Amino acid sequence: MRVLLADDNAERAGALARVLAADPAISVVLVRAGELLADAVAAFCPDIVLVDMARPDRDALDGIRQVTARDPHPIVLFVDEDDPAFMEDAIVAGVSSYNVLGVPPPDVKPILRAAIALFRRHQEARASQTEAETKLHEREIVDRAKAILIKERRLGEPEAYRWLRKQAMTSGKRIAEIARSVVREKEGTSV
Amino acid sequence: MSQTIRIGLLRLADSAPVLVAQERGLFARLGLDVAIAIEPSWSNLADKLTYGVLQAGVMLPPLVLAAAMGLRGPAAKVVVAMGLSQGGNTIVVGKRAAARVEAPQQPTGRMVLEWLRSYRIANGRPPRFAVVHRFSTHNLLLRYWLAAAGADPERDVETVVIPPEQVAAALADGRIEGFCAGAPWGDVAQAAGAGQILLGTSAVWPSHPEKCLALAEPWLEANPESARLLVRALLQAREICATPSEAPAIAALLGQEDGLALPADAALAVLPGGVAAETLAFLPGAAAYPSAAHAMWFLRQMRRWGWLDSRADLNAVSRRVYRSDVLDAEGVPPRPVADLPPCNNWDE
Repeated sequence: MRVLLADDNAERAGALARVLAADPAISVVLVRAGELLADAVAAFCPDIVLVDMARPDRDALDGIRQVTARDPHPIVLFVDEDDPAFMEDAIVAGVSSYNVLGVPPPDVKPILRAAIALFRRHQEARASQTEAETKLHEREIVDRAKAILIKERRLGEPEAYRWLRKQAMTSGKRIAEIARSVVREKEGTSV
Repeated sequence: MSQTIRIGLLRLADSAPVLVAQERGLFARLGLDVAIAIEPSWSNLADKLTYGVLQAGVMLPPLVLAAAMGLRGPAAKVVVAMGLSQGGNTIVVGKRAAARVEAPQQPTGRMVLEWLRSYRIANGRPPRFAVVHRFSTHNLLLRYWLAAAGADPERDVETVVIPPEQVAAALADGRIEGFCAGAPWGDVAQAAGAGQILLGTSAVWPSHPEKCLALAEPWLEANPESARLLVRALLQAREICATPSEAPAIAALLGQEDGLALPADAALAVLPGGVAAETLAFLPGAAAYPSAAHAMWFLRQMRRWGWLDSRADLNAVSRRVYRSDVLDAEGVPPRPVADLPPCNNWDE
């Protein structure tokens, strides 16, 4: 079975290609950077296309059958009508699957399942990275607010922090939010 | 009312009503909690509406009809609740083609036809035109225009699908010979020197329905009151979008870096009162009405090109998908449908 993988994230695409290649019945080809999805389908004639939903050229596969006379492959979105939750999992993870040449091959679902798992892991990794960056950014803002308080109110560093914490407790906000308003008031910029 | 309503849209100038409603607090004033999702493709929007990941979307009417009829997957439960914009698309060809077909006013059908046929003879293949989606107003209006010129859209051109943001580059490097795309991408291509706007789609069908508000039907059935408030806020937003004096503020909103990040100059040019060859219209009030006659025009064109089962009951489809009851409940009167196109822009 020929699987075309359209994913510009090289690390994720490589990982998925390795997982699929463990099955000797599957051969995997990656869409090259800058290559149009429709052209790659025409060149490789896959049975299945796995597509990163972040790709803007995914629309090229929607109802391609009648659109291109030179490329008669009928392409249909893989759908499991009995399992809408599975389809929703795929969408939320950000991967979709298409069957080429009419009849769906019997073993699409395990392939899509592997893709969903990898996409989801990637999503979680990115979310925790964003969280770490936010925390780092917040610590920096608290430091800037403390520096402002030390200078303007002639406080020591522990007192400056206590002041922020007290404001946060009385207003029911987070320390970072109080710090942000201190910095914004002083520097007039959004942080 | 605390449930978040997720509305999907694409990076296009006619997404403006939803952005304006959010930014001016029109949703919040009615107690609606709305989250906007910027999607990279129409397929994403359609899939997410189908599986309930989004509750609403700024959509192409023919794509909603196609999704509901099961032409791109399982038959989706999606409906059209109101129209959001009219017009705004342009048919653009590359510089060399423009030199052959351009006329002082409108290109004539004969000139277009001669160019298409001579291109095929010279290159051994028909010229390639890009549209943004197969089931788009762009594709149907381009085909209508070509057919009215005497061309066969199946044989005299090759149609490919390319995202609107990429059409200008594709035209510049010769991957395509022309395209039909929404605002502001025709003006962007022309300003970049990649091609020339031949005509706006309003010349094919004056004030044609363009984007619509699509709703996930299960959500509509479960939340009729929220749906009413949603269209009320968007009717107000359309009034704002239709006001030329608001255009600079709306263009700035469309240009926001952490939002759609559209080229602000091009966006300003295509908004009402702008200087573009084809401008968007957000006709207020009754023009938002989802007329069954509009659905029927799109469906008949889809049948004309052999995309529909000839036994499909188009009247039943248009009634099921075009749900005017939401606007009826808001007291918006049906729009008298006047000007469905016969294509009369040829000077021959």
